[in-house]
Amino acid sequence: MAHANPTGWKRWVYSTNHKDIGVMYLWFAFIAGCIGFGMSGLIRMELMEPGIQVLPKVFGITEQQAHQMFNVLTTGHGLIMVFFMVMPALIGGFGNYFVPLMIGAPDMAFPRMNNVSFWLMPPAFILLLLSTMVEGAPGSNGFGGGWTAYPPLSTIGHPGPAMDLAIFSLHIAGASSIMGAINYITTIFNMRAPGMTIHKMPLFVWSILVTAFLLVLSLPVLAGAITMLLTDRNFGTTFFEPSGGGDPVLYQHLFWFFGHPEVYIMILPAFGIISHIVSTFSRKPVFGYLGMAYAMAAIGMIGFAVWAHHMYTVGLDVDTKAYFVAATMVIAVPTGVKIFSWIATMWGGSIRFTVPMMYAIAFILLFTVGGVTGVVLSNAGADIVLHDTYYVVAHFHYVLSLGAVFAIFAGLYYWIGKMSGKQYPETLAKLQFWVTFIGVNTIFFPQHFLGLQGMPRRYVDYPDVFEKWNFVSSVGYLITLVGFLLFLVVMAMTLFKKKKDCADNPWGEGATTLEWTLSSPPPFHQFNELPRIK
Amino acid sequence: MAGDVKHDYHLVNPSPWPAFGSLCILVALIGAVFSMKPNATLFGIEGHYFGHWMLGIGFLGLLYTVFSWWRDVIKEAEQGDHKPVVRLGLRYGMILFIASEVMFFVAWFWAFFNSSLYPHLPVPDVSAFWDSLGTNAPWPPKGIETFDPWHLPFINTLILLLSGTTVTWAHHAIQHGDREGLKKGLWLTVLLGASFSMVQAHEYSEAAFSFAGNIYGSTFFMATGFHGFHVLVGTIFLAVCLIRAYKGQFKPDHHFGLEAAAWYWHFVDVVWLFLFMCVYIWGGNA
Amino acid sequence: MNVKRLTAGMMASLVAVFGLTVGALADGVKGMAHDGGVWLQTPMNEQAAKIDDFHMLLLWIISVIAVFVFLLVFWVMYRYREKKNPEPSKTSHNTLIEFIWTVVPIGILVFIGFWSIPLLYYQDVVPDTEFAIRVTGNQWNWTYNYPDQGGIEFTASVVPNSAFKNPKEMAGYETELSKFLGHPVKIQNRLLDPDYRLVVPVHTKIRLQITGSDVIHSWAVPSLGVKLDAIPGRLNQTWFEADDIGTFYGQCSELCGQDHAFMPIAVEVMSKEDFAKWVKHAKAEYADAGTTALGR
Ligand code: HEA
Ligand code: HEA
Ligand code: CUA
Ligand SMILES: [Cu+2]
Repeated sequence: MAHANPTGWKRWVYSTNHKDIGVMYLWFAFIAGCIGFGMSGLIRMELMEPGIQVLPKVFGITEQQAHQMFNVLTTGHGLIMVFFMVMPALIGGFGNYFVPLMIGAPDMAFPRMNNVSFWLMPPAFILLLLSTMVEGAPGSNGFGGGWTAYPPLSTIGHPGPAMDLAIFSLHIAGASSIMGAINYITTIFNMRAPGMTIHKMPLFVWSILVTAFLLVLSLPVLAGAITMLLTDRNFGTTFFEPSGGGDPVLYQHLFWFFGHPEVYIMILPAFGIISHIVSTFSRKPVFGYLGMAYAMAAIGMIGFAVWAHHMYTVGLDVDTKAYFVAATMVIAVPTGVKIFSWIATMWGGSIRFTVPMMYAIAFILLFTVGGVTGVVLSNAGADIVLHDTYYVVAHFHYVLSLGAVFAIFAGLYYWIGKMSGKQYPETLAKLQFWVTFIGVNTIFFPQHFLGLQGMPRRYVDYPDVFEKWNFVSSVGYLITLVGFLLFLVVMAMTLFKKKKDCADNPWGEGATTLEWTLSSPPPFHQFNELPRIK
Repeated sequence: MAGDVKHDYHLVNPSPWPAFGSLCILVALIGAVFSMKPNATLFGIEGHYFGHWMLGIGFLGLLYTVFSWWRDVIKEAEQGDHKPVVRLGLRYGMILFIASEVMFFVAWFWAFFNSSLYPHLPVPDVSAFWDSLGTNAPWPPKGIETFDPWHLPFINTLILLLSGTTVTWAHHAIQHGDREGLKKGLWLTVLLGASFSMVQAHEYSEAAFSFAGNIYGSTFFMATGFHGFHVLVGTIFLAVCLIRAYKGQFKPDHHFGLEAAAWYWHFVDVVWLFLFMCVYIWGGNA
Repeated sequence: MNVKRLTAGMMASLVAVFGLTVGALADGVKGMAHDGGVWLQTPMNEQAAKIDDFHMLLLWIISVIAVFVFLLVFWVMYRYREKKNPEPSKTSHNTLIEFIWTVVPIGILVFIGFWSIPLLYYQDVVPDTEFAIRVTGNQWNWTYNYPDQGGIEFTASVVPNSAFKNPKEMAGYETELSKFLGHPVKIQNRLLDPDYRLVVPVHTKIRLQITGSDVIHSWAVPSLGVKLDAIPGRLNQTWFEADDIGTFYGQCSELCGQDHAFMPIAVEVMSKEDFAKWVKHAKAEYADAGTTALGR
């Protein structure tokens, strides 16, 4: 049986090749990222000054309509960044491309299912975009109930089809992720090259393994929850409808039972990438490999038992809150193990400050900032004043936008040569790093102050007393915008290069994982003869 | 290409089904939304003009995809692509799929226990307020006449338990190369599965409470309904295995399709036992 | 780029952030945020003070941790850069250090717990209160009901932006509010000032019963240390006691639709005598137990 290798569009659309699918995921994430980034720009520009001035001009709507438009933007921004940018990039993109390479496998376990995992994403994204174009709340378009979609705002508050489209969007994005997760676990369990024991697996593979388990076990619960939303909305069930004996808070439990593992789903692959980069550019093996692997497993497991820390103000009874405070804080311990092990990996190393390494170091620093503010929030007593304020926004952007996204940039610079055969321009990329680094910190650091001062999230307009830090934050966005444009230039300069100029292993002896033993880019099918790991 | 491949993994040929199926899903879901909201408009066109059409066409396309996809899988199995290591992978895959299904049911059980265990909400001195909402009643809520678990539900429990044994019979039969036993066991299982669904449908038609408007009906029908849907899927899965059995596609040492169907069936069985114990017996007013 | 420039750049950006911070250390205003503020709002009762203290403790702890991590990283970047340390070591384990960095954080967290959990119980256990107020969040205003004062009930909505541009309209709002409170007031805080205020006596423990009539809202006044969701079908309960006379502002803190940003909260704390007077006057004007907005 000859193995067909179609060319042209069929190569991509019919693909059963993990590298091609990985690349498609990365492009998809990139496009979604641009849209999400653009939406955050509209948010920041509107919030630059008190009053409502930007959205009416941009969209040609009234001030009153801008209220809902803002909520739609915030909701869309959150959903897109989470489900269509970070997850496809880290898991679908890097996971697909590098997990098989790193374990010495010729492809994923289920190559055709891999393709459907990818191809469900564009329809999911289209549904979400369509949702912004049809009626949501009476008289306005789009769903503006936040990415968490709490009922009753997502049921009786948005009777139009926009919410239904968003629900289906999440359904199939979720189905895609579940299938992807099953694929990763099977691949990692079943297709490791001879000699690659589970305790020799590269940490990125470990991170994807744990992430995949989180996906398999948490996403179906979200699917159930949004199915309840759907039937409440359309078929008269009353899961979240008090007049029929239901309870809106039930949804929050179900959502966060998924939602908290979800945040670790977004950060664990980032941890994996950072480990490789730190080790490569310190020219040292990862410090405390086993501790690193089991810390991720621990984070994954504890992550399932802390969900109600998002619900400290819904009126939980006090013992329940006390439990969730304790459980949540425990996660700081394995996470600390990771932070300190990265530093210990650098300790005694011979550190080279390439762009991926700069992103990785920035990740360690900024993730720590986001992590410790998470510990503040985990204390229900203090969360009373911080819940649903910009302090929370600052917290999660430090771990997401300055954590997960920095890891995406780090991984992209680390691997772009491997994937495309072309190396990025170092100096310009460094500039891109610095501008982005300064930009995002200027956006999000002042948001801690806004939150402490009590500015609530999801506000289209705010009292004049919040003006100063909002202005700084929005200026930060403009700086980041420059960084983003530089990023486009860097990528264009890399990808439009005529000549492939990336060596098989451009990073030298520090880079020890299997992908560096292959050509850049690797052959269409690698490891026709399985490598043997000593 | 194939000549120099020195491993047993299955490098699947490129396939149109994933992309085509995804497209069908997109069409079907847009259709579904506008069938549920026929008066809403998409780009100025009212839903009832296109909703049902899109749903129908998308769904048919999806069926066609599913059929073709699995036909390809069977073809590949027949032509020897499923080496032992690939079969092991399929096992992992099926187990994980079932694990995800279990978590899906966790959501429905969570909804059920949330409403049945905690109808009394935190503040004690406002019970009058709850009374006015009708939620203060013990579970099941006031005025709900539940099914007697020891009538039809019990019979259904027996049917499913029995079907669990017949599918095991079929499995053991093929392991010993007994094709007749395989067919008989599968026939019985499929018939039992179908009769479960019929009994369930009959029971639904006699319900003294409705799907809509109250939390009892919501949790009851959604939990048992999704279970019923899984019974249907499982029955179809087994029926396909039956056809494959007639075609002689199962070998004593090579019949993962059948095994997967059996695992799935046992999963459906266990979910039912939980439903029977929790929703029917514990949550009923008998 | 060499390390010197790298560190210099990082330092510069940090200094920039701190520079802005230090410029904004001015003390807070009573009962609301102030521009450029970087701390919690000035606490105006024991509850908020306890939160404030606890947050300060947390802030010290996390700052020390973060600074420690930063310094460690900077030091490593400096000491082990390629030029200075061309030959990397091969160490990859050290049980003692791994033990330490597991146990020390545990210790820190246990320490935090010692403060955190008691605070939680203090906040949650409703003491003997003198009377109750029912708060109902609606899209997009708040209904207040005083069941123990003969069912005084009124609904507070935002003073619209237009009033801040139109003195005549504003005068109307101010007259009405002054009449309502029984003393003259100025309305100055756009998006913080509603047309009516929740009136309570000073030094009095008050029970709040909070619910929502349509979607979820959240009733929050930071300087009094209160935030609780207003959930349809639930009656949530908390308490507060104000230690000072004045106006304390808050805002709806759960996304509730298009005008989520436009349903502010103001609590007017009066002396006990003034409150008694207010009750008498309000009973005449606003007592309306029949239309209590609780439930649906
Ligand atoms: C990548 C995503 C990510 C990650 C990793 C985290 C990590 C953590 N988060 Fe975060 N969080 C979010 C994404 C994330 N979060 C999002 C998106 C929301 C808002 C959702 C919404 O409402 O829209 C949120 C909201 C959120 C809340 C709810 C706030 C509220 O709404 O009121 C809480 C409360 O407990 C919380 C806590 C934590 C904690 C304790 C961690 C911990 O895992 C952090 C652990 C890390 C460290 C502590 C730093 C490193 C450790 C050391 C250096 C060791 C020494 C440290 C100590 C001893 C303290 N998060
Ligand atoms: C991963 C998640 C993520 C990311 C990256 C971001 C990025 C940003 N967010 Fe984020 N945000 C959320 C997740 C994220 N956000 C969530 C979940 C919410 C809550 C929504 C809700 O309330 O419901 C939120 C809400 C939110 C708010 C609060 C809105 C409100 O409450 O009303 C604000 C306000 O300033 C904001 C601003 C920004 C800005 C300026 C950026 C960025 O512009 C910062 C700079 C980022 C980049 C420069 C990266 C761009 C990335 C790419 C271009 C992809 C590249 C990919 C490849 C190459 C593969 N966001
Ligand atoms: Cu009411 Cu937000
Ligand atoms: Cu969380």
